[in-house]
Amino acid sequence: MLKVQNLTKKFAGKDALKGVSFEVDRGEIYGLLGHNGAGKSTTLGIILSMVAAGSGEVFIGDISVRENPQKALRKVGSIFEAPAFYDYMSGWDNLKVLVGLSGRFDRAAAMEVVERVDLSDRIHSKVGAYSHGMRQRLALAQALLPEPEILLLDEPTDGLDPEGIKWFRDFILGLRKERGMTVLFNSHLLSEVEQMCDRVAIIRAGELVYEGAVDELRDDRPGFRLQAKPLRILGEVVSSFGGEKMNGDRWIFPEGTEISDVVRSLIERGAEVNEVTPVRRSLEDVYLEHSSLSKP
Amino acid sequence: MMFLRQLRGELKKLFARKRTYIGYVVFLIFEALLLSLWIYVGREQFEDLAKRNFIPVELLSSSLTATYWIMGFSMFLLGSIYFALVAGDIVAKETEDGNMRMVLSRPVSRLRILVLKYCAVIIYTVTFVIFVGLTGYGMALFAMGSEGGLFVWNPEMYILAVYPDRDEAFQRLFTGACFMGLSMCVVTSLGFFFSCLKIKPAAASVMALSVFFIDFVLQNIPFLANHKDVFITFRMANWIYVLQENIPWERIVESYSILMGLCVSLFILGWMVFQSRDFKT
Repeated sequence: MLKVQNLTKKFAGKDALKGVSFEVDRGEIYGLLGHNGAGKSTTLGIILSMVAAGSGEVFIGDISVRENPQKALRKVGSIFEAPAFYDYMSGWDNLKVLVGLSGRFDRAAAMEVVERVDLSDRIHSKVGAYSHGMRQRLALAQALLPEPEILLLDEPTDGLDPEGIKWFRDFILGLRKERGMTVLFNSHLLSEVEQMCDRVAIIRAGELVYEGAVDELRDDRPGFRLQAKPLRILGEVVSSFGGEKMNGDRWIFPEGTEISDVVRSLIERGAEVNEVTPVRRSLEDVYLEHSSLSKP
Repeated sequence: MMFLRQLRGELKKLFARKRTYIGYVVFLIFEALLLSLWIYVGREQFEDLAKRNFIPVELLSSSLTATYWIMGFSMFLLGSIYFALVAGDIVAKETEDGNMRMVLSRPVSRLRILVLKYCAVIIYTVTFVIFVGLTGYGMALFAMGSEGGLFVWNPEMYILAVYPDRDEAFQRLFTGACFMGLSMCVVTSLGFFFSCLKIKPAAASVMALSVFFIDFVLQNIPFLANHKDVFITFRMANWIYVLQENIPWERIVESYSILMGLCVSLFILGWMVFQSRDFKT
């Protein structure tokens, strides 16, 4: 559905993207992770033809965004960066103006989407009086008109309260279930990505450093929270088993390592073992391991 | 058809903003003020002037002549501020507020977006000038009655004309207002061009007004009197030739061709800059 090939981009001579490539399949929810300035929004900006790529190519369906942006974007609904509406106009008039740029404004379809995003009561009020959550729902409504095949969402839950985040998550998952909607979204909220996405990619300093299915992320290496004294012996024993310290007190070992062997060795060396807990590898762990924040 | 629908949307955005109406309100106040001064302070002087020059009083102190004064003496200096303000805002404000990102995420070309915006500000400009003419005339009619023709005197453009026939006078004045509207499109185009650059909306308006007033000042410097033709404000003032007894169409066509060429060039330059910009905070 979406093919991103070898994107590069420089801002003021500094590399913002260094050959980012990934593909999003039809009906898939794909998450882009990375800290501020990593290049997530730039990637989305290039897909939306709002930012010119230095090199590389983006295809939506089979249509090149570089060669035919208007045709390619007909399939796309998006929220790029913080949604900004015309505050002095009503939500309905905003929809009319924005959707009108894509073609005919279908009143019935718009009303249906407005009901769906739960804005019917306030759609004729001025947007200036909307809460952040309402603006976000209006942004979602405009993205869904007229009938996109893929949604591109740039940190859509940013600033929402927990209720709003849950509503948003359920809404997106519902869209995928009902319409088979393809979704690409950027987020800082790792738990969101973990709960919603089929696959994730991590971008660090303009480079895609990790890509994989969310399910694969969690269990591919055994991890343990291990606390023992003295720390010197703990370090020596774990190293002798090829263990590696990740964030927190979490240690990972090469496949096939029996944790009972590690504990036995610690006790034989005279160490006092206080805690041995199996820990599943979370998306946060993967993120921290691959992002520059990772400091073992 | 789709273009017209989109243009309606653009006009809706423009006219839904309160600041768009500042110019209208100011001009209504200004018209009322000028007419009051005309009636309570200037009337005696006009009557005296008319008697000394053997001109019928009803020509000098008539609703049509008052309308000519309102338009001719205020539009360039006062009107230009509002045209620069609205045109300077039209792209830059949406970019600053982030609305442009919402617009550009739609399957519509940047050229089309700019054409829509440009058409909207041009419509605003021309209708504004006609609004000022019609409301000025309406107020003058209310205050001075419908008697009298039109007396035109503009020493800088070497024009002195008298139209005792009210219908002809009205037609001339209305045609003049239309040409003046076209002239003011130059200020609008300047504002629009600067608005396409990566600058704040206020900076775009100030830049447009700076260019306009610098040109105006230079045009009025005595030692440049023989080179007036090269200044855009001189060309813009050519609307007044419509009020000359024998209308010099050749000169008018030449000036307006130059002005329209300038407007198109400013649009193209603005578009080139806008097309090459990245829209991302």
